[in-house]
Amino acid sequence: MTTERTGWFGYRARLTLSCYALLAATLVLLAVFVYVPVVWAFSNSLYQFEVGGEAQFIGLRNYQEFLFEDAVTWPSFLNMALLTLIAVAARLTVPLIVARFICSLPHERGRYFYRLLFLIPIVVPGVAVQLIWGGLVYAERGLVNETLAAIGLADWARGWLSDPRTALVAVAFVGFPFVFGFEVLIYYAGLSNIPTSVNEAALLEGCTGIRKFFLIDVPMVMSQLKLILILTIIGGIQGFEGLIILTQGGPGFKTTVPGLWMYYNAFSFQRFGYACAIGVCLFVIIFGLTVLNLRYFRSTEELEGAR
Amino acid sequence: MSRTTRIWLHLALILFAVLTLVPFAFVINNSMRNNTEIYHSFFGLPEAFRGYSTAWFSRLRGDDAPVPVKLDDGEVRQAAPAEAMSIYKERAATGYRSAWRMIRPYMVNSLVVSLATAFGVLLLGSISAFVLSRYRFPGSKIVFFFVISTMMFPGVLTLVPSFLLVKQLGLLNTYWAMILPYVAGGQVFVIFILKSFFDGLPEDLFEAARIDGAGHFGQYRFIVLPLSKPIFSVVLVMNILGTWNNFLWPFVVTTDSSYHVVASGLYVLATSGNAQNIGTLFAAYVLSSVPLLVLFIYATRPFIQGLTSGAFKA
Repeated sequence: MTTERTGWFGYRARLTLSCYALLAATLVLLAVFVYVPVVWAFSNSLYQFEVGGEAQFIGLRNYQEFLFEDAVTWPSFLNMALLTLIAVAARLTVPLIVARFICSLPHERGRYFYRLLFLIPIVVPGVAVQLIWGGLVYAERGLVNETLAAIGLADWARGWLSDPRTALVAVAFVGFPFVFGFEVLIYYAGLSNIPTSVNEAALLEGCTGIRKFFLIDVPMVMSQLKLILILTIIGGIQGFEGLIILTQGGPGFKTTVPGLWMYYNAFSFQRFGYACAIGVCLFVIIFGLTVLNLRYFRSTEELEGAR
Repeated sequence: MSRTTRIWLHLALILFAVLTLVPFAFVINNSMRNNTEIYHSFFGLPEAFRGYSTAWFSRLRGDDAPVPVKLDDGEVRQAAPAEAMSIYKERAATGYRSAWRMIRPYMVNSLVVSLATAFGVLLLGSISAFVLSRYRFPGSKIVFFFVISTMMFPGVLTLVPSFLLVKQLGLLNTYWAMILPYVAGGQVFVIFILKSFFDGLPEDLFEAARIDGAGHFGQYRFIVLPLSKPIFSVVLVMNILGTWNNFLWPFVVTTDSSYHVVASGLYVLATSGNAQNIGTLFAAYVLSSVPLLVLFIYATRPFIQGLTSGAFKA
């Protein structure tokens, strides 16, 4: 490496300087729009915001209120757990089965066609999908009720999202039959990367059909399953956009989740400090899961290295 | 594989596809009907469809006798087939015409925001990834850590304080309130993906370029850009998809309806009751999907291949 000097700036110093100049925009944007909000999330959670007044330091009172006093907290965590559980169950099974079916097709043309077909719904904006489910599928005179009436089960018809008994389950079933194009593609990638030698060995041993699916395919796409698992859990803890559109957390608090409660506290009640405290609590949960996942993930990597 | 298994496979896949796509089919169908039609029979085809095809058929037979045309207000009058066809065509398009009038400003806003974001993300992301991948300088490890660590902060943590920040900066109800945070957050994923891609490029290429006198810019322009076209397109599509679909942040930072993007605008349309016709709403959903459809027609192949080649593995 050349170290010839020009003036009192060495080559290395100039290189370093130019690198930082190129990185400047990235670093400034990250500092302002990511790190400042992160710091503010923690600091604001210690304050009580008054409408039109000064913010008041109240220590950990917001956390105390959220974790021990707020009657909405625990039911909302239960709702979150149920929604996440159904989402996990759905995203780990149906797309994998569909990917397995697609993978079994003999011609590349057919495989490509179905991958494309299941990817099409991606072009519909997420908000439109939720609005379609709320306004067309579950509506008073919507797809579900009209279908029930058409097959003579008109008694079962109801406002699926406004009936306290069905609202939460109805929300969980948005997107039925859960063939999400993105997941299908990821599982498909895993399945088609299984070495032919493994598939041939299985065939020779007479391991086919459902037995092969559980003994060969599922273990071979374990890393993809884990990726979707962690993404779905984190998405379940964070996600509440759909609920704003579908139910606004109602009827009552039947479909309120902690994230939605945070949203209402911030943007409806102007309780920004309390909302930040809820955000920090959710972050702690997500962070804990991420650390767990990293541990677990490293151990499988070591396994793969040892193989 | 036996013939019967193959047929069963196709049947199962088609059943899944039908169930998945049924709501969207009803949206398209109902987007061409008015409220009376929809309430009268949920499962019917658009009246405009039936009338149009009847008129078209009688013209095909060379029969110029007037056909009855049911007008919007329920009145029936006689019209020549050609005129009937144009009346029905007009009726099928009414929903779309008023939907387009309502969502056109949202579309323009979405387009501005997603293109600006995609440009910023790709530019900053690729430059930073290039520098971090190709140079070792004092603090480079720390910088990379500083960038990558931001992935650990979920949106739910930063939503409220980000709003307070944008408000304090006086950016509420501007395009910048969306573009700047999107670029700041979006570039991290791009840096992550592109850095690992650049790490895999042979160092000889860059050395040869440096010997030929290329500086940072020369290496970026003549080596990085041409080699990373495919991965750029995957990243670009994913970024535009994300921006276009983002509902919550635009909804929170734009109270002035003239800055609504498609996602927040659709929600406002659907809940405000400004669109009295359900069909118009459905037409708006269809129209809002068109830009991404166009994007996909151009980018499916690299997208599917990029995802399928196993770029995403835990």
